[in-house]
Amino acid sequence: MSTASVDSARTRPAPSSPGFSRADDDAGLVTRARRRPVVLSAAALFVVLIVTLIWTSRPEDYTPLSTDNATPSGTRALAQVLRAQGVDVRQIGTMADARIDSPGTTTLAVAGTEPMAEYQIDALIEYPGDLVLIDPSQSVVDRIAPALSVEPSLDAAPVAAACEDPDAVAAESVRVADTGLAGDPGPDGMLCFPNDYGSHAYAVVDDGDRRVTLIASWPLVTNEHLAEDGNAALALRALGRHETVVWYVGDLFDPSTLTWSDGDGDGDNGADGAVPPTEIEANPDFLPPGTGSAVYLLALTALVAAWWRARRFGPLVREPLPVIVRASEATRGRARLYRRSRASGRATAALRATAAARMARRLGVPRAAGRTGLVPAVARAANRDESDVDRILYGAPPTDDSTMMSIIQELDTLESEVHRP
Amino acid sequence: MYITGWTVALSAIGAVPAMWVQERAFAWVWVIGVIALACLDAALAAKPGILGVRRSAPRAVRLTESTAVELEVVNLGSRVVSGTVRDAWQPSAGATGNRHRFRLAPGEATVCVTPMRPTRRGDRRADVVTVRVAGPLRLAGRQRSIEAPATLRVLPEFASRKHLPSRLARLREIDGQTAVQLKGAGSEFDSLREYVIGDDVRAIDWRASARRAEVLVKTYRPERDRRVMIVLDTARLSAARVGDAPRIDASIEAALLLSALASKAGDRVQVSAFDRVERARAMGVSGPAMMPVLADALSTVEPALVEPDWPAVARLVQSRLSQRALVVLMTTLDASAVDGGMLDAVAAIARSHAVVLASVDDPEVRALERGRDDMHDLYAAGAAARGALEQDAVAARVRELGADVLTALPDDLAPAVADRYLDLKASGKL
Repeated sequence: MSTASVDSARTRPAPSSPGFSRADDDAGLVTRARRRPVVLSAAALFVVLIVTLIWTSRPEDYTPLSTDNATPSGTRALAQVLRAQGVDVRQIGTMADARIDSPGTTTLAVAGTEPMAEYQIDALIEYPGDLVLIDPSQSVVDRIAPALSVEPSLDAAPVAAACEDPDAVAAESVRVADTGLAGDPGPDGMLCFPNDYGSHAYAVVDDGDRRVTLIASWPLVTNEHLAEDGNAALALRALGRHETVVWYVGDLFDPSTLTWSDGDGDGDNGADGAVPPTEIEANPDFLPPGTGSAVYLLALTALVAAWWRARRFGPLVREPLPVIVRASEATRGRARLYRRSRASGRATAALRATAAARMARRLGVPRAAGRTGLVPAVARAANRDESDVDRILYGAPPTDDSTMMSIIQELDTLESEVHRP
Repeated sequence: MYITGWTVALSAIGAVPAMWVQERAFAWVWVIGVIALACLDAALAAKPGILGVRRSAPRAVRLTESTAVELEVVNLGSRVVSGTVRDAWQPSAGATGNRHRFRLAPGEATVCVTPMRPTRRGDRRADVVTVRVAGPLRLAGRQRSIEAPATLRVLPEFASRKHLPSRLARLREIDGQTAVQLKGAGSEFDSLREYVIGDDVRAIDWRASARRAEVLVKTYRPERDRRVMIVLDTARLSAARVGDAPRIDASIEAALLLSALASKAGDRVQVSAFDRVERARAMGVSGPAMMPVLADALSTVEPALVEPDWPAVARLVQSRLSQRALVVLMTTLDASAVDGGMLDAVAAIARSHAVVLASVDDPEVRALERGRDDMHDLYAAGAAARGALEQDAVAARVRELGADVLTALPDDLAPAVADRYLDLKASGKL
């Protein structure tokens, strides 16, 4: 804002003479509302509507197996039933967000381990509490029961539990859908719900310290299939063992790893020598912790600055501009027409005529003398052959560009040779 | 309402506590709080309606010269008002530094001076006066625009006045008023001189010749009180740009120089700008009063994108002039003018008056004619030569009608027209 110095202004008492223009007094809100009730109420309604929409909206979630996803592929129904049963279900966006305080009373549910990196799986295996793995990938299964393999399942008929796990027995029957498990679950493990082809929907590995539940047939926890067969019973029993469930959906774009605090009450999870990752290791963030919120505030400040700069100091002033057409435009346009229609003859004729007129003026040959009067005069002045001069000035018109170029060159040379006698 | 940079700064300061709090909600609370504070500040600011403004601009200024306009701001309310005022003019008025801070006690007034350097001829209009009244916290304030019409007339530059002294000197020579000749002034023999070949035999003073051994001729002082009428063509061809300015600007310069010269020579000058109707005129004034009137009349002349009405021009000239006069037509020699009836009009005027037709030449077209770099240049040269031939043909036909034709580059037109006038004056053809 360039402001002229105050020195240029002189302050003096106001003269009593009238003739000052004044701004109209701003009409108050009430007056304006009375004048235009429809506009103002429409504006108010619009604001209320926008506020309501913003207030009630939450980001739509379409991630499969996410507890916020209400579509058939989501698990919102399961999460809501668990919450109704008094279990605290918390979904985390990144592994670093887990920050599990007491692994002994927290079930970590991980859906879709396929996108997870090796170090993330390491952290998962080191987690001291109960794990529920939904749709586990082979790389995770290898770390829990090496002899177990994940294989696709095509048969989708309900099958009986056929094992001694109380959860499976309570569920009675489920379908082995999409994927199943086959092989040896190890001494602590148990495979349940086998189908005719040897695929199992569910496995439990319980080494006494913790319980790892593998739900290979992941469709049974989805909103679409939860109500079928014994799906609900199996899923609720598997996840409802502890008062807290931390739910994580595998994400390719999440580089962070799991965090949990060392059990304050039970010290036996340090027995296997695994060092739980500290927060700084888990979150490789070199900036101070408050940077994010400071940047967020500065982004809002940028909006305020936009308002500051966008508010004009009075309206723009209109300038009625004159038409700007160069006088040479007509000549240039004519030149383009000549060139497009290859009118080399016409262009050369004009140049010859003007050159002849200039030479005639220089030599004092009257306009009326014409070709017969001008040619000998020019030939004399330029010390050239008359027929040569006649060919250059009045010869056949050129038919192509190169002839035109050479004629004009000769014409210029001739004109430079002609001097006042 | 407006906000100041302080509001933005206050909002940005919130980044420091935000580092500790680490909550997004805090950012919202802080920014909304700052805005609420700014709104409160604006609400506490005085109403702009208590300010009165009055503009005063000089009546006229010559183009390229600087001037200043004044804006008087008065506090008609009962509380101290501080803020900023913007004296808005259209951009070509060249108002730089048109924002002024003020702080006024009740009943006090201040005068804000805005320097101006107009960049275009004509009437330059003022726009609204915008006042910003700051709130007590300087975070925000109220803004209002006030209508206060004003106009500044920008006169033609008259750059050709630099040619005036030399032409006036020549005029005095013709007039027989130069210092050298003044020595013998009053003596009768000074108006006689020896006969030289080429003098009109009717001018021979036989009685004086009889007294002397040689033949003497009477010389006459040039006629005074002759009529000169300048007609400016403001039609479409005058709008075309030659160099940096439209053709009409060169015509105006020539008209100003010729008028200045002719009024010094004692002739009566009248000027008319015409396309289909008369756009401006300056007549009925003579002597020193002529130039201001003429500059004022020509300052607002703008080219109109219409075809000129040549028969009407001829009628206008005939109606304005009762005795033989010099008629200078400032127009454009163009092949299209032949169809438009220019030749008929020139013929009609030339029957009873001396006619000079002055036309602005385009240096760019002349440069095109000399271009030889590539085929494109050659065709352009051909086109320019064709245009020149057509122009020559029109000029030849105009000369056949008894009128004089002058073509010159924009800067040379004014002196060329002045010289032609002096030639006519010297040869007694006026």
